[in-house]
Amino acid sequence: MSKRVAIIGLDSVPPEMMFDKLLDKLPNIKRMYDRGIHGDLETCNPPITVPAWMVMMTGKNPGKLGIYGFRHRRGFSYSDGYIVNSTTVKEDTVWQMLSRQGKKSIVLGVPPGYPPKAIEDTEIVSCFITPGQDKQFTNPPELKQEVLAAAGGKYIFDVTFRTEDREAIRKELFEMTEKRFDVAEYLAKTKPWDFFIMHEIGFDRLHHAFWKFFDPKHPKYVKGNQYENLDEEYYKMVDDRIGRLVKLFGEDTITFIVSDHGSKGMVGAFCVNQWLEQQGYISFKTRPTKMTDIDKAEVDWTKTKAWGWGGYYARIFFNVKGREPTGVVERKDLEAEKKKLSSLIMSIKDNNGKQMKNVVFEPDQLYGRAIGDKPDLMVYFDDLNWRSAGTVGHDSLYLFENDTGPDDSVHSMMGIFIMYDPSKNLNSKILKNAKIEDMAPTLLKMLGVPSVDDMDGHVLSEVFS
Amino acid sequence: MPQTTTQSKYTTVSIPITLHDRIEKMIIKKSGFKSVSDYVTYVLREVVAMHETKDVPEPFTSTDVEEIKARLKALGYL
Repeated sequence: MSKRVAIIGLDSVPPEMMFDKLLDKLPNIKRMYDRGIHGDLETCNPPITVPAWMVMMTGKNPGKLGIYGFRHRRGFSYSDGYIVNSTTVKEDTVWQMLSRQGKKSIVLGVPPGYPPKAIEDTEIVSCFITPGQDKQFTNPPELKQEVLAAAGGKYIFDVTFRTEDREAIRKELFEMTEKRFDVAEYLAKTKPWDFFIMHEIGFDRLHHAFWKFFDPKHPKYVKGNQYENLDEEYYKMVDDRIGRLVKLFGEDTITFIVSDHGSKGMVGAFCVNQWLEQQGYISFKTRPTKMTDIDKAEVDWTKTKAWGWGGYYARIFFNVKGREPTGVVERKDLEAEKKKLSSLIMSIKDNNGKQMKNVVFEPDQLYGRAIGDKPDLMVYFDDLNWRSAGTVGHDSLYLFENDTGPDDSVHSMMGIFIMYDPSKNLNSKILKNAKIEDMAPTLLKMLGVPSVDDMDGHVLSEVFS
Repeated sequence: MPQTTTQSKYTTVSIPITLHDRIEKMIIKKSGFKSVSDYVTYVLREVVAMHETKDVPEPFTSTDVEEIKARLKALGYL
């Protein structure tokens, strides 16, 4: 077991794109698929980049991590919140466990990775949440200059989404990803490592900004549009860079290509707070007449029982007496109120009067134990086909544009898994029932390091047989 | 060998019996923690992580927060 292990993390890549639609156009990934093991990788709930990569790298579910999305409420405040960052993650990641055993790691862009933690024998470049390249974004600090040099003087953490300026997004997307792989090659070549992981956010941005252009099944697809083959173009560019990188890793490296969740076309956005108002849960002092964030709307908290947050899923919070500043729901009634609202949510219909396939979770039941600033309920609208719009002041409950920016896709529960060992031909073996939290214990076993006791993930024994 | 694996994962630390009993009483009332060890591990992880990161400055300035929120919003996360 003296092999090195590398992970190429492609954010938001679904099996339908990588395995079904584009594989034959991607010679390098296809070779790894044909000679290795592949399968779907089931993500966590919620299927969101933050927490998904940390679930993968700690082996622990979001409830144990206390991370439910990019942004959290601060305690029980109505409007105060915080952005999740690397210090929010209290559980050990794979590279922290490796560091304690004297093993060396390279960690490029894994979210949430800013600020970079000071971990011995671990070269870290922070993630797309980094405010800018003027910040200290590497561990050790002096690595920053090397990263900037490898990226030609300008490193791009993330693309900027501009409403309907797709050309600018496209240009920056390709530039960003090329630079990421330039840095990956530099690090893999010049630094000693036992474990290498890189994360590329570009796929997620490609999907959100361009899905309607390349998916003929999307309601807004127009045949012959200028971005019709952009998916293929981008995936091929990455395939080429993966080919170069895997060659550079050499024969003694086992490489994984994984994603943290899937993607699919967005049907629309459901205005959760307007619906809650209709059901008598929210009361406004002044009802907004134009699009307004719920945090900024004049909510009458003395008459509001519950409200929700937008995103790819909805977080619902009850306004509980003695917990929220001016709570109205009695603590003893909370469980009954949750059940009542859950049942109302399950009866929501779409814009055509068709029953949505909604899912409602209670964090403690879902995770066993849920710490941190958790919502009271988590809701997926119509199997995630509809995103949640938290804003109010719309004419309808149903929006066919995202309320917050250009967006044509939503997240789905299945990501991808490929494992490739250059010294073996496994004849395209299929891996079944793999979950994202299984990655951490599997990687540790592969690297000969003991796992911790309270992981939710299990070793994927098929990859060792 | 399972026994060796288990042994290598855990060790014993001593805490006063009175403290142990107080924690036990408390966790019976509050759901979630299965045992005193479970609770103590959780609290210690929090505290140790806090000390490990105490030299790291506040990650985001207020301007950063506004910019990141705008970005995350445009990306559909909020």
